[in-house]
Amino acid sequence: MKRLVALAALVAALYAVPALATPYLLHVMVLSCLYAIPAVGLNLMLGYTGLVSLGHIAFAGIGAYVAAWLMVDARLGFWSALAIAVAASGLAGALIGAICLRFRSHFFMIVTLAFGLMLYSVMNNWDDVTRGAAGFPGIPRAPGFTTLESFYRLALSGALLAFAIQWRVVRSDFGRILLALRQDERLALAKGVNAALCKTAVFALGSALAGLGGVLLVSFLRVAAPASFTLAESINAVLVVIVGGAGSLAGPALGALLFVALPEYLRVAAEWRLVAFGVLLVLITLFAPRGLAGLIAEGWRRVARRSQ
Amino acid sequence: MAAALLEQVINGAMTGSVYVLVALGMVLIYGVMHVLNFAHGVLFMLGGYLCHFFLTRLTGNYALAVLLTMAALAVVGAMLERGVFRPLQGNLRNQVIASLGLILALENLAVALWGPNALQIKVPATERLVALGELRFPLQHLLIIGVTAAVVAAMFVFLKWSKFGTALRATSQDRNAARVVGIPVERMDVASFALGTALAALGGALVGPLFLVFPQMGDAPMVKGLAGILLGGMGSVPGAVVGGLIIGIAESVSTLFLPTDYRDSVAFAIMVLILLARPRGLFGVRARGEP
Repeated sequence: MKRLVALAALVAALYAVPALATPYLLHVMVLSCLYAIPAVGLNLMLGYTGLVSLGHIAFAGIGAYVAAWLMVDARLGFWSALAIAVAASGLAGALIGAICLRFRSHFFMIVTLAFGLMLYSVMNNWDDVTRGAAGFPGIPRAPGFTTLESFYRLALSGALLAFAIQWRVVRSDFGRILLALRQDERLALAKGVNAALCKTAVFALGSALAGLGGVLLVSFLRVAAPASFTLAESINAVLVVIVGGAGSLAGPALGALLFVALPEYLRVAAEWRLVAFGVLLVLITLFAPRGLAGLIAEGWRRVARRSQ
Repeated sequence: MAAALLEQVINGAMTGSVYVLVALGMVLIYGVMHVLNFAHGVLFMLGGYLCHFFLTRLTGNYALAVLLTMAALAVVGAMLERGVFRPLQGNLRNQVIASLGLILALENLAVALWGPNALQIKVPATERLVALGELRFPLQHLLIIGVTAAVVAAMFVFLKWSKFGTALRATSQDRNAARVVGIPVERMDVASFALGTALAALGGALVGPLFLVFPQMGDAPMVKGLAGILLGGMGSVPGAVVGGLIIGIAESVSTLFLPTDYRDSVAFAIMVLILLARPRGLFGVRARGEP
């Protein structure tokens, strides 16, 4: 009960941010939300199931470009374009995931990397449909969410939806199966789990969430450019998940805030910020494999023990 | 048509040679330590930058600069092994994630130190043209192919007949058995990392004069090198050589039929298709720890 109240207070505070924040801070908050949504999808794959995908953001790109094409060329409304685009990324995730999942451990990572690069190459070069390297211009913002304040509410709602889905999945039987697959796939198989189907399903779900993030991102920026869906961005998504805490419910939110908001606040140059995050990623794998969420939980436990 | 084909084959052999250098280093490290180092490409990139630095600031001699670059990066490789990859031994997922961290850190360090713009390494061998039949190639192309061939030959001799090379192979076949017969396994890890990194540095230093030096220059060779390793069979040294060359030549020849924009995808598509048909690659060896 106490937790529920705290969560409700947090959500209310998040929705109240536009009343207090400067436009600049609000912009940063929007970007944090938009980074968190694909990260939730990757957290389900990487954190809970143990599938390290190195091409995750390419699926955000699929959603983004499908939505862009539907809205600009096919003159569809925002919401139907959003729904179709998310479904398309999920479907692409199921198809490509089914191929990638025929491989194990590092082979899986390399094949996801290769698919990520191939999808990027299509976005960058299929000029007739994607408008090539210059990007796909003229994407409208969602109706009713054209100002920065209102778009923040949309992005926040999207992020909260993603977290709600994550919570629902993790607490379900399906989520327990995913955890079992991460911990001991052979044992899970022996217990009668259809590993291939479950892994394909989580790959599709993760990709659909990435697609949701991608559609909102290009709707915010009003342009879909291949530069938003590079290998570097896929690595950033892994970084957000790992730094925040892979396999923890709040991890992607903490990771996205740390990755987007903190450096803006500290006003460091972009390249030094990424140098610092690269080093941080190495340090976290070495010393704090449960990420920021793990560190906070550990700290909280210590404080609680001392106060007893 | 024949001339165009020959031209693309030679071009492909050149880029393929670069992939071979990257793939050889990665396969050595993978074979001995069972570590997949995705940061191999940024070490390749550092090779290009350090070569530029040594050439312009320290010596005017390209060959000397290349050797200095290899030595410097061998030290970096040894340090990475001790500091990052050894503590993570046995945890493949964290090793990969740490190597992604190294990509971010080193690639952006290069941007911070040298700026985002490409640097040029001025070497006479890029300007001198050599005639092969009716075709002409920059000397640097042939230099890259020649140096790679020499390195591959030296590697085979080293691994096959030297005591040290035999110890490396023994470690890669069975770590515990190697320890039992008195091979200092930890030293083999450092050696394989240093050697592998030096080979990446050689690749970067050789390509630098041809295609400029820039922060992302190692990304494509790393992925293509990986594709070459998978194609040849993970952990097989001859496989890495053949795989790297196949990828290089296939993507060059594909430009005769497909728009050049898609040549990267050709390499990856070949890789995925071959893996689906032959999961252990062309020279399939069953790698340690693989089911």
